[in-house]
Amino acid sequence: MLRDGTRPPLRQVLLVGVLALLAVAAATEPAAAQYVAREYGDFPLIGSRQAIWIAAQLHLFFAAFVLGVPMFAVVAEAIGIFNGEERYDKLAKEFTRLLLVSYSATAIWGAMLVFGLVTLYPRLWGYLAEIFDVSMWIYVGIFFFESFTLYLYYYGWDRWKKGRAKWGHWGLGVLLNLFGTAVMFIANSWLTYMMSPPADVTPDTAPAMVQFWSAFANATWMPINVHRFIANIVFGGAIVGAYAAFRFLSAKTDEERAHYDWMGYIGNFVAIFALIILPFAGYYLGREIYEFNQQMGTTMMGGFMSWLWVVQAFLIGVLFLAGNYYLWVGMGRIPGAERFQKYTKYMLAVLVLGVIVWATPRNMIASREELTAMGGQFHPFLGVLGVMSAKNTAVNLMILATFLSFLLYRRANKRPVVGWASKGTAVQGSLFVISAMVVLFYGVYGYFVPAIVRIGFSVYQVLAVLATIGGVLAIDIAMMRGAKSHGEIRWGQMPDRSQYALFILAVTFTWLMGLMGFARSGIRQHWHIFEVMRDTTVDAATPALGYASVVISVCVLLFLGLVGIIFWIGGLAEQPVVSSVGSEPASGSGSPGPGGLPG
Amino acid sequence: MTNFKVFAVVIVTLGLYTWLANAIPQIESVVPEELSFSSDVTESELVAAGENLFRGGAACMTCHGLETRAPNLLSDFAGEGTIGQRCGTRVAGVDCKTYLLESLTDPTAYVLEGFDPMVFQARSFSSAQIWALVAFLQDQGGPVTVTGADIASAEEADASAPVAAGPVSASADPLEIMRANLCLGCHKLGDEGVEIGPPFDGMGSRIDGDRIRRSVLDPMAEAAEGFEHLLGAMPPNLADMLTARQLEIVVDFLSEQR
Repeated sequence: MLRDGTRPPLRQVLLVGVLALLAVAAATEPAAAQYVAREYGDFPLIGSRQAIWIAAQLHLFFAAFVLGVPMFAVVAEAIGIFNGEERYDKLAKEFTRLLLVSYSATAIWGAMLVFGLVTLYPRLWGYLAEIFDVSMWIYVGIFFFESFTLYLYYYGWDRWKKGRAKWGHWGLGVLLNLFGTAVMFIANSWLTYMMSPPADVTPDTAPAMVQFWSAFANATWMPINVHRFIANIVFGGAIVGAYAAFRFLSAKTDEERAHYDWMGYIGNFVAIFALIILPFAGYYLGREIYEFNQQMGTTMMGGFMSWLWVVQAFLIGVLFLAGNYYLWVGMGRIPGAERFQKYTKYMLAVLVLGVIVWATPRNMIASREELTAMGGQFHPFLGVLGVMSAKNTAVNLMILATFLSFLLYRRANKRPVVGWASKGTAVQGSLFVISAMVVLFYGVYGYFVPAIVRIGFSVYQVLAVLATIGGVLAIDIAMMRGAKSHGEIRWGQMPDRSQYALFILAVTFTWLMGLMGFARSGIRQHWHIFEVMRDTTVDAATPALGYASVVISVCVLLFLGLVGIIFWIGGLAEQPVVSSVGSEPASGSGSPGPGGLPG
Repeated sequence: MTNFKVFAVVIVTLGLYTWLANAIPQIESVVPEELSFSSDVTESELVAAGENLFRGGAACMTCHGLETRAPNLLSDFAGEGTIGQRCGTRVAGVDCKTYLLESLTDPTAYVLEGFDPMVFQARSFSSAQIWALVAFLQDQGGPVTVTGADIASAEEADASAPVAAGPVSASADPLEIMRANLCLGCHKLGDEGVEIGPPFDGMGSRIDGDRIRRSVLDPMAEAAEGFEHLLGAMPPNLADMLTARQLEIVVDFLSEQR
């Protein structure tokens, strides 16, 4: 009955009922009456997955290069300012010139990646854009400022060369790095969200209901930031090293050869030094992945990806061996280095044994035939080397051996004059021995304690190694002040084979980066966004490593080819900057030592 | 010549890595197969489907194929036989089927001494997939007691479980929210809407915000004066279709309609 006492018309009651039903139906299926976007597009010939894979990988290669190079360009410029040595300034400028021409390639591949996602994976892109829209706008804004800062940094180099203007110019370099890092951090949040979305996000959660900050600062965001930050330095150093090697090999004059020999050394120094820290960042990332989702962690280390780590160990072994080989060969052009060459074979032995231990598998997925051939779940003798205790011990000893190579190289042509030199050297030696003992002790002790205790031991091993690196270096810098010289470094007098070691380093770093990218992305398995949005394409299954390796090799070949073209184009516009490094004194207060550090 | 040598070094290095990656065992991550069984599903169908999952998409072999991470389920463990033989005697009073099901759906339910709780995440798998796994594990030395009825009742329970419906719209605009939730299909506001239920025009002068909120959250509680005959016509699930913030936006907006 209505208020006025009349009955409501039947038609009106029916209409109410129908509308109520429609309301419920619409609430259950909100988009039913609307345009529904397609879920996936199709890319001709190679398919969508390969197209996105290649675009993303190429973009990441270039992005890593343009983020890594400014870091040591700005450091090289600072060394030039503090030491007053122009060759560092010229080196920084030449690095930046390489950077300039690589920027557009980064942007082009970035655009290809975005257009690829929009056209091939529109549902995924729409979902991510709905959560991260604001950060995407900020990203573009920062990228804009970053580009113009780079132009100012490079084109203002000769204008702002002296006095306070030079400091202002250096400030631009710092700003360039800050912008670049911010851009990387923002993009990392998008991809890490796909790996580790917040726990309260389910397949039923509307993207607009996802809290922005919890999505942005997700579980693996900071570990990836740290890992990529360091890896970019390694990568930038390796590519610059390869560039210098190519220039060295095609140099026409001794002056050019000397310059590019020195440049290659700096590239290798930066790459290997950052590489030493990288495994620690890797452990941090791995631990956070386990913390986020144990199943994901197990898939990564012991599941279908378990063999990937054997390949990774092989590649890292190549990096350590090639990096050290370059240093050992380089000692041939340093007067006084002969006295250290007898130690080379011991360092080589440590490195080779370390690689063998690191590459020893343990918890592998194996068929019945493979188990029978091996004589059980583990190899009767080598199986014991496959556990983390042995691997941690191996990698820490390899790092110590590599640092020793650097140290010997650094002081090859120097004779300390301070009164406490012999005591200082003894303390340095003791630090090496003590840290090696600590590493070995916890490595062996790890076999007798539960896994949870054993994991904590790796922290002590790492701290011992880092403390030794810091302590030995501090002593060395103080001890080599005013050191006498055995003679100048004969820059340019390097055998060609050493330069090919730099190429192998660059190719290996690049390939390793592709491999790790596959591991990071592949552990999501058949999910676009882990346990939130399924991949329902025909390519949902993550491919085996053999297939992935082919795609990675194609990407690396494309990248190196494009880099070669870009550098060639850059060389057309400007002659390379050559400084007379061969005539620089290698000793004396404040001069740079062969270690690339202030002496 | 230099160019050729450099190119050769690059190609040989890439070739070596590609060869190495292809020389090791090739394992692909398999997508768990979607399963759907009729009530008369046979034992062999269940076992076969379970085995596919166990060895493939569910990645059980990653841990249960070894003896360091988890007990090997397919071979003898600690002299108690295979999992089908030992599952019924593992916990007193718990039969094999229950033991396996609960172990899968609640990995902390029965943790063997010396091992960590299982990392298997049942929420990623359907009831049919879980039951197929149970059937396969029972088949490892024991009788299979899983039937189509188990799966049917589990799926029925899943279907009747309350589903957390998401909001229809993410908008913070009151009009957008009301349009998206079809409020204007029964309530008139200015030139929009249909005058079936109480009009939104002037609502703030008739009732306060608390009453509006109650009407949305529990439309069956009381009818608006003069609209008692429509009690029950308003969708009962509006509370599930709005976020708390959206509800307050709508309540504030309607309170201001005077």
